[in-house]
Amino acid sequence: MMLVDIRLNMEDLLLAKPQELLEDSPGKKILLLANEAIARGVLEAGVRLVALYPGTPSSEIGNNLTFMAPNIPNFYFEFSTNEKVALEVAGAAAVAGVRSMMVCKGPGLNVAADPFFSLAYVGVRAGMVIVVADDPSMWSSQNENDSRYYALMGNMLLMEPSDPIEAKSMLLEAYNFSEQFEIPVLFRTTTRVNHTRAPIEFGPIPSLPDKVEFEKDPFRFVPIPAVARVRHPWLLDQIEKAREVSEASPLNFTEGEGDLGIITSGVSYNYVKEALLEMNLSAEILKLGITHPLPEKKVTEFLKRHERVVVVEELEPFLETHARRLAHLEKVTVDIFGKEQGFFSRVGEYSPRIVIEALCNINNCNTPINWEDIDKLSETVLNLPPRPPLLCAGCPHRASYYAIRAATRGKAIYPTDIGCYTLSISPPLETADILFDMGSSITTACGLSEVTDQDIVASIGDSTFFASGLPGIVNAVYNQHRICLVVLDNRTTAMTGHQPHPGTGMTGMRKEVPPIDIEEVCKGIGVEYVKTINPFESIAGLVGEVREMVKWARENHKPAVLISKEPCALLKAADRRRAGETPPKYYVDQEECTACKRCLNRLSCPAMYMDPETEKAVIDETQCNLCGTCVAVCPQGAIKREAE
Amino acid sequence: MTSNTSNTINIAIAGVGGQGVLTLAEILAKAALSEGLNVRVGEIHGMAQRGGHVVCTVRIGDDASGPVIDSGAANLLVGFEPVETLREIHLVKKGGYVLMSSHIQYPVAVSMGKAEYPDHKDIIASIQKFTDKIIEIDAQKIAIEAGSPRSLNMVMFGGIIGTNLVPISKDSAMKAISEAFPKKYEKINTTAAEIGLEQVKERI
Repeated sequence: MMLVDIRLNMEDLLLAKPQELLEDSPGKKILLLANEAIARGVLEAGVRLVALYPGTPSSEIGNNLTFMAPNIPNFYFEFSTNEKVALEVAGAAAVAGVRSMMVCKGPGLNVAADPFFSLAYVGVRAGMVIVVADDPSMWSSQNENDSRYYALMGNMLLMEPSDPIEAKSMLLEAYNFSEQFEIPVLFRTTTRVNHTRAPIEFGPIPSLPDKVEFEKDPFRFVPIPAVARVRHPWLLDQIEKAREVSEASPLNFTEGEGDLGIITSGVSYNYVKEALLEMNLSAEILKLGITHPLPEKKVTEFLKRHERVVVVEELEPFLETHARRLAHLEKVTVDIFGKEQGFFSRVGEYSPRIVIEALCNINNCNTPINWEDIDKLSETVLNLPPRPPLLCAGCPHRASYYAIRAATRGKAIYPTDIGCYTLSISPPLETADILFDMGSSITTACGLSEVTDQDIVASIGDSTFFASGLPGIVNAVYNQHRICLVVLDNRTTAMTGHQPHPGTGMTGMRKEVPPIDIEEVCKGIGVEYVKTINPFESIAGLVGEVREMVKWARENHKPAVLISKEPCALLKAADRRRAGETPPKYYVDQEECTACKRCLNRLSCPAMYMDPETEKAVIDETQCNLCGTCVAVCPQGAIKREAE
Repeated sequence: MTSNTSNTINIAIAGVGGQGVLTLAEILAKAALSEGLNVRVGEIHGMAQRGGHVVCTVRIGDDASGPVIDSGAANLLVGFEPVETLREIHLVKKGGYVLMSSHIQYPVAVSMGKAEYPDHKDIIASIQKFTDKIIEIDAQKIAIEAGSPRSLNMVMFGGIIGTNLVPISKDSAMKAISEAFPKKYEKINTTAAEIGLEQVKERI
């Protein structure tokens, strides 16, 4: 089977950005995504090691660092197996005495929660930053948990940049802050920070230290109860000392003047500024960059200066609760407006409009734009056909899911997992029934197999298999769960932008290494039924394979694994473009097509549509990625390929 | 209704994942930056890229600080596809412009017979409820003429410059295109932008 050179494809997709980020040209101003600015910040902060597992909206940090890494002397970067692993790798480096970073999306920090708490207790000898990218509105996440509470619960320092410019400038401050108090900084961004571009000015790049000597101090770094009991009060004491820095820090500043006070942090700060401008309203803003430990004196003074204070922050009332607590504690008479009274929502991301509407609500005034009219007018717009995200044209998962559904007549339970394949939830594939988190396809299948009599066909991607699937497989083998698992091995971490993983044979340092073979792993763990197939070879054959697997699992009451191995369609398409190849195209023979629409209804391929006049199927050759799955689905044999 | 942020030029760009919406936004913003202007780009990655509806924002001007454009605040809505244009029409401000490519990309729901694609005249009528300043071109046809359907986004880029609504010179725009793509695709992309620019100029 032809394997795609993933290295070249990533370069193709990323253009020349990593090269640009390496430039030693202080003062140069370029347009960067906050994630790119953070990658550049790694260089300017003298960070020696970065470990992460990709997760949107944080993915571009790693995508850039992996191509920068081989060109930075003494720098090490890895795509770790998962977030817990990444935090432990990076944490140890900072304990050893070099600056390090771990990056994840919100749910990724949940995976890394265990080491997170220990790391605060033992502390670090050099600066460490944990970048967590929360996702209000859940553009690409399964929940919108507010990660700021981790800093509160685990007693780490917490910083919230509000835009790409601060994403880099605050990062440099974060390392100093972390080093001063020997505690990691939780650097909390949100989607609208991570995925905003702004002009960023380059700073100087320091050189990195070579290897360090690990100095042993087990009664600090091994938190057995006797050690941990000493470390906990130490940690609380450090937080109080850090509070003094937070009080004096220019990252916690006020601007503007007015009777009204507004406390804000993160991306909401921009919406507040724009709202005040739009409303021609004056107010004093307290913009907080360091939100744990909170500058309590500064906040209290601010509350004392105003009779009315509005707190503007996305998701949970983190600052608001603190403000109310301080007002009560310091006996300040002030009206605090926020989520508690329903002026702001705990759901979804904000916008200038949301801030304006809340301020108008509080101030009893009219909004500068008549949104009520616009909303009403919008309701009179035509009923539009929906266009949800889909599996791409040529996606090998489409063939796999078509076969899974056909083989089980849609009657099995289909536990799914985190990745592109979650998109199989939509008709007509409809092969996603239950999902909790990374790796849960296998373990939910285990649970379901013991309490139902239904057949269970779970699916998981290759990267997810390594990230969190392995303990589940071990569980299924050892406890003899009669589950079927299809590993959708598309040779990459596709959803987050094609990062390598342990099965690809490429490291974060762009070094070629022996890949870890999923079939061998399953056999080694003790899975007795393991097969690898190519989903594009034969649809009928694929359906037969799924049937056989289901039968075997039912009869043997043990787990069975089918590995459906075929590279991501986007990688293959990029490959063809680069090579200048124009392989023969697929087309629907309009004479032979009977307009039965089976291809359209069964596959939901974005490259196929119905000619509105003839009602026959047509392949859009600009969209088609040449998988040929539709050929097998057509009962008339009307879908054909041009001659070579 | 006066607006204090009227010195900010808000451009919303809507299309289908894979059409090059994000790339256009980045190149447009780079061109603005090369003119010495402050700029913000708002993007959504991940799920939105998989053939779904995509909307991206470019905000130019000293007061642009956040990435979001509210309903009724866009000076220009750029639509890569008729239905996707209409989906974001609420963004256009009173007297704002719509630049739309007329080429249809059928959503799968339509192919499966689960939804209908509206008539062109009905789409235009709906847009007209918000603004009568509609510029329509067949960007797909122009892109193919220029050498590749993948240059569709650069046709739209040329079109944006052709509207004269953004303070970016043609030279800066062409330079931004040259810097963004490998040499072998440069000609196709600059040609696409040239034709887009001319066609829109004639229509505005």
